[in-house]
Amino acid sequence: MSATDPILELPYGVTPDPDEFLRAAIRWHFSEETGAPFWLERADRLEFDPLADVRTFDDLKLFPNLANELRDVRAEDLIPRGYGPRPKVVGVFDSGGTTGAPKRVVMLQEWLDLLLAHSNAQLDAHGVPRDVNWLMAIPSGPHMVGASFQQLVAERGGLSFTVDVDPRWVKKIIARGEQTEADLYTEHLIDQLQHPLRSQDIGVLMLTPPVLERLCRRDELVDLVRKKVRAIMWVGTQLDPDTRNLYRTELFPDAVLCSGFGNTMTLGHVSERPGLTDDEPCVYDPFSPYMTYNVIDLKERRPVEYGERGRVVMHYVGKSLFLPNNLERDFATRIRPLPGQVGDAVADIAPVPEFDDEKVIEGVY
Amino acid sequence: MTERMTEPHLLDALGPSGPYRARKRETVTDTTGAPVAELSLTPRLFVTRALAALHKAAPLPLERRLAALAEAGRVFREETVEGLSYEEYERTVARVSGIPLPAVRSAADEIADSARRALAGAYGALPGGAVLDWRDARTRTGAAVWTRRGEVLAVNAAGNHPAPHALWLEALALGHRVAIRPSRREPFTPHRLVAALRATGFGDDHVVLLPTDHAVADEVLRGADLSLVYGGDDVVRKYAADPTVLVQGPGRTKVLVTEGADWRAHLDLIVDSIAHHGGVKCVDATAVLVEGDPAPLARALAERLGALPSLPADDEKAALPVQPVERARALERHLLERAKGATAHLGGDGVVEELPGGGAVLRPAVFEAPDLKGGWHTAELPFPCVWVAPWSRTSDGTAPLGDTLVLGVLSGDEDRDAGLVDTLVADPTVANVYLGEHPTHWMDRGVPHDGYLGEFLMRTKTVIRG
Repeated sequence: MSATDPILELPYGVTPDPDEFLRAAIRWHFSEETGAPFWLERADRLEFDPLADVRTFDDLKLFPNLANELRDVRAEDLIPRGYGPRPKVVGVFDSGGTTGAPKRVVMLQEWLDLLLAHSNAQLDAHGVPRDVNWLMAIPSGPHMVGASFQQLVAERGGLSFTVDVDPRWVKKIIARGEQTEADLYTEHLIDQLQHPLRSQDIGVLMLTPPVLERLCRRDELVDLVRKKVRAIMWVGTQLDPDTRNLYRTELFPDAVLCSGFGNTMTLGHVSERPGLTDDEPCVYDPFSPYMTYNVIDLKERRPVEYGERGRVVMHYVGKSLFLPNNLERDFATRIRPLPGQVGDAVADIAPVPEFDDEKVIEGVY
Repeated sequence: MTERMTEPHLLDALGPSGPYRARKRETVTDTTGAPVAELSLTPRLFVTRALAALHKAAPLPLERRLAALAEAGRVFREETVEGLSYEEYERTVARVSGIPLPAVRSAADEIADSARRALAGAYGALPGGAVLDWRDARTRTGAAVWTRRGEVLAVNAAGNHPAPHALWLEALALGHRVAIRPSRREPFTPHRLVAALRATGFGDDHVVLLPTDHAVADEVLRGADLSLVYGGDDVVRKYAADPTVLVQGPGRTKVLVTEGADWRAHLDLIVDSIAHHGGVKCVDATAVLVEGDPAPLARALAERLGALPSLPADDEKAALPVQPVERARALERHLLERAKGATAHLGGDGVVEELPGGGAVLRPAVFEAPDLKGGWHTAELPFPCVWVAPWSRTSDGTAPLGDTLVLGVLSGDEDRDAGLVDTLVADPTVANVYLGEHPTHWMDRGVPHDGYLGEFLMRTKTVIRG
């Protein structure tokens, strides 16, 4: 087993030169001794030589989008051999599974340590308190977010109180057009949230915008959140600027409100850029050079202008996994990245917009 | 059309703590496509909290409600409200909704009158045996007390015509708190009305204006105890099983001309019933059913309706509705598709006449349907569009006369038709029956439009004491 290039194991706070880091990662993943079977099997099928031809992040577009193959690949084959026979695994996690069978990745503890160091720094920058308990209505099971945040909360010195969410079931209900059933599911979540909110010392609330909105139908819970909760972290879907402003000014003026954006294909999440005003979109900076984004015009295969919307391409480059050039279904606004960061910052990530067709309905109304 | 154009007017939501200006706004355009206003759209959370505030608010005492309503009607009709004079208001509504200016003015009169006499309509629904207060002496031996079925009424309003906004004023008179979700095409009327009500005594948490996009509309209804909803057949079906929602659906107003009636003597009346206010109201006739040969009447209607001028909606002489060209064309396509199999007397080649300044007039259409089984006569469209069809009392019977908001009957023999009228008055799907020389759009505050709103808003309960 060859020695690991130290650039792949830098501690949090030391940022490698991105392209140098990328080349080291390519060497790691495409070496017989250290690479994962997944990549070694596919290396011959590539129409280029990754070791010779991939010099910069811009070259990642040479890679075909292999994310679909993550639906069927043996999970073990995703783990680089360089970790030896007993790597410390956090878990095997699925993508949402909105379209077809879920895509699967393996998260190693080494990476999660680095990710959580970044998360902690971001949450501190937002003023999210440490040493408080979190109440989280987020998915567990095959979804990465549950396992990641339980570790995060423990590291920050709090207890995790959880209410489970099954996003795939919710999507099925909505796809069937059963809005009432979907509403009942959300009520079911609120019913569960109310107990720890009443009886426990909850300092941070983590949930989706629709659940938070629904919680606000109940005055008792609004009062409890006002009294106890010092930070609210919203994740999973969009929160429009008007609603965000209402939370900050009328509903929960004393709590920190910040959001997280996670994606299984980048093995984690980031928090919004701290210090944004209510009139700015929620901007997510990459955890560069590990988790990076490009916002592109799909037809032209080039970046859209800053401020314009386009499809999101994500890259994960790390020691534990290499997953470049993964085209997401989502659209985002391309935002200029902070100095030294690779790719783009993104804002207003959302699925393809749908339009109401104007059709004639008889009658005068 | 652009001489009045300045900065688009900012039309705020009117929330329970005052006006609310959202970041998310929708541009309200006139029928030429020129921007007229920026309407703030409230997010779901705002709606949720606003409805909660309405629930917490206590109604004003009756006397103060009535005084505030009456004064609000005057302010609405005469004063400058939120920077908009009455004259600017009526022209803006005409330009934006395409409703002929004289119709807008008439609707404003109607709203002002309803505000002044809201109790006339509201107390119309009061059951004969009921008292208004549990303190009434009659409760000492047991009496029905008339009480609200719920405290908060949501109105999902339509933009076809301002006049429906006259109706929910009755709810305010009865003590309900009211949330209006305005039409995004014509939010000016409810905005002006709610602002006037707040200026004359109603609290901000008694009546609110909550413009929302389509996705948030249901939240307005959900947060209310009772809802009044305007819409087409799909909306009627959606809420059919919900006793807390009163739907004002298609009117499918009809005029029946029975055998022997001298329709020539009533031609003005029939034309008026079809084309009143540009044919945009639910009480404008969609069908004229003739016992006998419908062709001569269809020809006469075509001649009269064809003479109506094509004018911009804000012209003092405007009589036909104006729409953006694209929407007008969509309606025209729908009409011509529906009209297949019917004989055109007017409008067979189309009904759209584009105006030089932009927008398009929807000109009248008269089609003669071969029968009632084909269903042509149920196609209600928002302009003077009438289906003239033969009706036989023996082979058709009264079934095709049902599903009607107003049924005008021009009888050729009142004695012969008395039994027919009995059937029509008894038919639960016929909301109103007008016999003789009364246009289908005749209304009065004291009589119900589609039942009394109070039948829906109120209930009786027994109180006995002492």
